[in-house]
Amino acid sequence: MAGTYAGLVNSPVGRKLATQLGLPRPATLRRYAVGEPLVEGSVLVGGLGPAPVAERVRALLKSEGIDTVDELADGDRVAAVVADLTEAAEPSDLDALRALVAPALRGLRPSGRVIVVGREPSSANGFAQAATRRALEGITRSIGKELRAGATANLVLVGDGAEANADAAVRFLLSGRAAYVDGQVVRVGPGTPTEPADWAKPLAGKVAVVTGAARGIGASIADVLARDGATVLCVDIPAAGDSLARTANRVGGTALQLDVTADDAGRQILDHATARHGGLDIVVHNAGITRDKLLANMDQARWSSVLDVNLGSILRMNEVLLADGGIRDGGHVVLVSSIAGIAGNRGQTNYGASKAGVIGLVDALAADEGLRARGITVNAVAPGFIETEMTAKVPFATREVGRLLNSLNQGGLPVDVAETIAWFSQDANAGVTGNVVRVCGQSLLGA
Amino acid sequence: MSPSASSSRSASRTSGQPRRAAVIGGNRIPFARQNAAYAKASNQDMLTAAIEGLVARHGLAGEQVGEVAAGAVLKHARDFNLTRESVLGSSLSARTPAYDVQQACGTGLEAAILVGNKIALGQIESGIAGGTDTASDAPIAVNEGLRETLLTLNRAKTPGQRVKALTGLRPSQLVPEIPRNVEPRTGLSMGEHMAQTAKQWGISREAQDEIAASSHHNLAAAYDRGFFDDLMTPFLGQTRDQNLRPDSTVEKLATLKPVFGRGEGATMTAGNSTPLTDGASAVLLGSDEWAQERGLPVLAHLVDAQTAAVDYVTGNEGLLMAPAYALPHLLARQGMKLQDFDLVEIHEAFAATVLTTLAAWESEEFCRDRLGLDAPIGALDRDRLNVNGSSLAAGHPFAATGGRIVASLAKMLHEKGSGARGLISICAAGGQGVMAILEAA
Amino acid sequence: MVIRTVSESPSLAPLFAKAALTQRGRHGDLPDSALRREGVVVDRDHLLGYERVCGFGGGDVLPHTYPHVLGFPLQVALMADRSFPLPLPGLVHLENQITVHRQLTADDRLDLTVHAEHLRPHPKGRLVDLVTEVDVDGERVWEGRSTYLRRGRTNADADRGGQAPPLPDRPPAGVIRVPEGQGRAYAAVSGDVNPIHLHAITAKAMGFPRAIAHGMWTAARTLSALGPGTAGPSTSHVWFAKPVLLPSTVELVVDDAGPITVAGLRSAKNPTTTHLTLTLEH
Repeated sequence: MAGTYAGLVNSPVGRKLATQLGLPRPATLRRYAVGEPLVEGSVLVGGLGPAPVAERVRALLKSEGIDTVDELADGDRVAAVVADLTEAAEPSDLDALRALVAPALRGLRPSGRVIVVGREPSSANGFAQAATRRALEGITRSIGKELRAGATANLVLVGDGAEANADAAVRFLLSGRAAYVDGQVVRVGPGTPTEPADWAKPLAGKVAVVTGAARGIGASIADVLARDGATVLCVDIPAAGDSLARTANRVGGTALQLDVTADDAGRQILDHATARHGGLDIVVHNAGITRDKLLANMDQARWSSVLDVNLGSILRMNEVLLADGGIRDGGHVVLVSSIAGIAGNRGQTNYGASKAGVIGLVDALAADEGLRARGITVNAVAPGFIETEMTAKVPFATREVGRLLNSLNQGGLPVDVAETIAWFSQDANAGVTGNVVRVCGQSLLGA
Repeated sequence: MSPSASSSRSASRTSGQPRRAAVIGGNRIPFARQNAAYAKASNQDMLTAAIEGLVARHGLAGEQVGEVAAGAVLKHARDFNLTRESVLGSSLSARTPAYDVQQACGTGLEAAILVGNKIALGQIESGIAGGTDTASDAPIAVNEGLRETLLTLNRAKTPGQRVKALTGLRPSQLVPEIPRNVEPRTGLSMGEHMAQTAKQWGISREAQDEIAASSHHNLAAAYDRGFFDDLMTPFLGQTRDQNLRPDSTVEKLATLKPVFGRGEGATMTAGNSTPLTDGASAVLLGSDEWAQERGLPVLAHLVDAQTAAVDYVTGNEGLLMAPAYALPHLLARQGMKLQDFDLVEIHEAFAATVLTTLAAWESEEFCRDRLGLDAPIGALDRDRLNVNGSSLAAGHPFAATGGRIVASLAKMLHEKGSGARGLISICAAGGQGVMAILEAA
Repeated sequence: MVIRTVSESPSLAPLFAKAALTQRGRHGDLPDSALRREGVVVDRDHLLGYERVCGFGGGDVLPHTYPHVLGFPLQVALMADRSFPLPLPGLVHLENQITVHRQLTADDRLDLTVHAEHLRPHPKGRLVDLVTEVDVDGERVWEGRSTYLRRGRTNADADRGGQAPPLPDRPPAGVIRVPEGQGRAYAAVSGDVNPIHLHAITAKAMGFPRAIAHGMWTAARTLSALGPGTAGPSTSHVWFAKPVLLPSTVELVVDDAGPITVAGLRSAKNPTTTHLTLTLEH
C-alpha cells in the first residue's frame, strides 16, 4: 500500500514526469518472507582497528551462506555495508567510516543496508571519545537521508563485552524485517541470548499475548509472532470479537474478549495463557485508542479514556503479568509508543501524553533490577506513518504529506511494526532492553 | 486423537461407568430482529460465524473435532447439508464430520444431547452442537400448482408431453408461497395455540408482563456485568441482542394490544411473546480428558436429558406443554425434586409458556391425572428461574436457542460452584419438549 | 334386485348432462336394481392425488372416504337413469355414513355395488339413501350411505331422522384455510364436476353467492385432521349444515373425550355458523 502518490509516480508516464520534476519516487521495499536470504547479495564488512563486531558479523553471514567482502573493487555492488567503529576514539577516526562506506553507496543494491556499529557515548573515556561516539549517530542519520531505493542506515551501539549480543540486532537490521526501520539507534547491552534452533521460527515454543489484536497493527503483530512460531493469545474488546476471532483463527491461536482497562484484565490474561498454553513468554501491549481534540476543547472523558487505555491499563496489567508467577524468566515485554509520544502532535495532548508515558515506562521497567535479574527485556516501538484503517480515514493531503515526510518517501505497513516487535521478542535478542525503536522510515517528525 | 485420549476412553469403557460429556464453552452471535441487522445473512453465514467465534475462543483452528451437529428450523432446499457446509467454511479442519438435526425449537438442545451422548459412549472425544435460524432470509417456495407443473415438465420425455405440461401453467401460479408460522396439522399459529392453553390455565396478562419485564432486566444486567463477554461474538456490527429493552417495564408492557387469542380473555401481546429473530449459537462439548489436554475449562457436565411429546392435534393438550411431561421422568431417574435445582431455564417461547408449565407442575390435578404422580411436583422459587434473561429479551432464532441456554447455564452453574445443578426446558413445535440437566464441574 | 355389472367407471360429465336433460317428469318408486363394478384396481396416482387434496397422508392405505369416490360415478349413473324417481340436479347431500370393516389398501381388488333405498318423506321434501357396498373376495369390507334431500312438498310430520349432536363448544383444535380453487381441485380427483363447486360464475348461475366446497371434501378433510386411525375399522356419520363458500377459513373443533368422537367445522369469521358435524366411532 504505497498510496496514491506512489502509484502515480511509479506509473510509466508518472515516473518520467517525476524524474524531470525531481519528485521523490517511493521504492518497493524489500520485506521478509520465510525462506528468503537475509540479504540479497554480498556484504561489505569492515571497520576501524580490530573491529570485534565486524568479525562476528562475518561469521554470522558465512553461516547464512552470504558472501562478505573486506573492500570494494571497481563496479562491485553490495547489498549492505557493516562498518564497525567500536574502536573510534578521536574525531579523526571517523574518516575510516567515510572511507569504507562512501565507495559502496553508489552501487548499493535496492533496499540496501548501512549498519554502523559503535559504542555508547555515555560510557566513553574522556571527552574526545564521547564526542566521537556520538558523531556516529549524526553520520548514520545523514547517510539514511542520502540513501535511495529503499535503502536504510541504522546505528548499533554495543556495550562493552556485549559484542556477542549484537548478532540478533545486525541480523534484524540487515533483513527485510527492518524494511521501514531507518535512522535508528539500537543499544545492545548485557544479557544471555539463545539462538533459535531454526531462524525461520525464532519464537518456536513461545506463548505471546497481543492486546488490541482484532485489527490493524495488532492483527499484524499476531500474524508475525505466529509466523515466527509463537502461540498467540489474541485480546481485544468484546465489541471487536468478530475481527478478533478472525485473527485468532488465522494464526491458530486463541481469542480472549476482554477490555484491557478491566481491573482483572492482567489476571484474566495470565490465567488464560497459563491454562490454555502453559505459560506466558511474550507480552505485547498494543491496545490503544485515540480521542483527538485540541487541548482547549478537550473534555475529561476524552482525556482520561486515552490515558487509561494507553497507559493506565498497562500499569495495572503489569502488576500481574510481570509479577513472580507471571511472565516467565527470560521473557519479553513490548510496548507500543508513537511518534506522537516523541514529537507531540496537534490535537493529541492526551495521546501524546500516554505514548510518551509508555517510553518512560520502558525506561523504568528496563532498569528494574528484579526484571533484569529474571532476564526479562522491555522495549517499545514507536510507529510513524503506518497505513492502517485509521490512517485511511485521514484527509488526502495530510495523508500524502505523512507518507512523504520520511527518508523512504512512503508510509510503512503494519507488518513493519510487527516485525520489529517480533524481533524484540526473540530470546536471541536478549541483549536489547530499554530501547525505543521508531518504525517510521526516518520520519522528519520528532527526529 | 491423541494416545492418552484413546487410553482414557478404553478405561472408561472397561469400568462400565458411562462418563459424562463436559460443556466446555459456547458462543453465539447477538440475536437480531427479523428483517433488521441480519436481513441478508443466511443460516449458513450465521452458523459459520457462531462456529468461528467458538473455534477462536477455544483455539481449535485447524483442529478436527469429533463431529459438529447443528440445524435450522427454516431451511432452504440448498441447505441440505447446512452444518457440513458451515464446517467447511470455518477454521475447523475440513476433516471434521457434520450432520444436520431438526427438532423445531428443540434443535439446539437436541443437538447438544446427541453430541453429549456420543461423548459419553466414548464414540467421540469432542464435538460442537449448534443451531441457526433466520426469519428474514426465509425460504420461499413456488406455488404448489407451479411446482407440480414444473415437475411434470421435468418428467416429460417427448415434445408433446412438454407442451401438454406447459399448458398447465396459470398466471395465478406465479404467486409464491411464503412459509406460514403455523402447525401444519392444525393451521393454528403457535401463538394461537398458546393463547388457548393460557386461557385454559387462567394465566393473567399481568403475570405474563412481569415475566417479560424481568427477562429484559435480567438480560440487561447480565450484559452489564460482562456475562456474555466470553459467550458471544459480534456479527455484522451487532454487539448485543437487538430485541433487548433494558428499560422495559410492566407498565409499558401493559399498554400493548393482544395479538393472540380472542376477545376479553386475550392476554398475549408482542411484548410477552418472542418476536421472530435471526441468529446462531454453538456449544463445545468434550470428554474431561480432551478438555484437560487442551487446558480448556470444564464448566459443567451434561447429566441427563429427556424428550416428550403431547397429542395436541385434537386440542386436548396444549401444543407447548410437552416439557411438563418430560420432567417427572428426569426427576425419577435422578432421584431429585424440582426444588433441588439451583437454576432453572425455561425457554420463554411466550411468557405464558413459562407460567403454564409452572402452573401444571403446581397443579395436583394435572400431576395426578396427566403425569400419574401421587403428589404435585410443586412450586419453583422464581429467583432461580431464567436469572440472566431468556428468549423474551434475547429473541428466539428457533434452532439457536438451545445452544444459547446450554452455554449460559453451564457458565452460571460454574459461577455457583461445583455440584450446582441446573434444568433446561425447551418446548418445540409439533407438541414436543426437550429437557436436560447440567451439573457444575 | 337386478344387478347390472359395468366394466368401466361411468364418465360423469355426460351423466350430469343426461340427468339435467331428463329431470322433468320423474316419479314413482325406486328401481329395484343395483350397479356393480368388479375387480376395481386402485390407480395409485389417483389415490395419491385424492390423499393430497383431502389432507390424508400419502400412501397405499385407502382413506376412510376413498371408496366413496370410487362408488360415486355408480351413484350418479343410477340417479341419472330415467327409472330413478328424483331429478338429480338440486339433490342436496344431507348426511353421509361410512363404516370401514377392515383397513383397505391399493392392493385390494374391490367389488363395488351401489343401490338406492329408503325413499321417504322429510319435513322439507323427500329423502333417499344411496348405498355403496364394497367387497373383497366376497367379504364386506366397506359400506357407505349417502342421504340426499329432494326439496319439495313439505311434510311437517315426517321423521327428521337422527339429528346431529351439538358442535363441541371449544377453542379451535385447528384452522383450515380453504382456497378459492378447492372445488376444482376436489373435482379433479372425485369426478364431481357439479358447476356449483367449480367457479363463482357457474355457482352464481345455480343460485349460490360463490362456489361452495364439496360436502364430501369437507367430510374427508375433517376426518384427515383426526389422524390416521380412521382408515381402520371405524364408523363415521356426517351431517352437512351450511355450505363452505370459497374461499373461506373454517375452524375445526374436536371433542374426543368420550367413546364417540364429535368433531365439526365452523366458520372462523362467525363461529355460530356450523358447516358440518361428524361423529366417529372406532
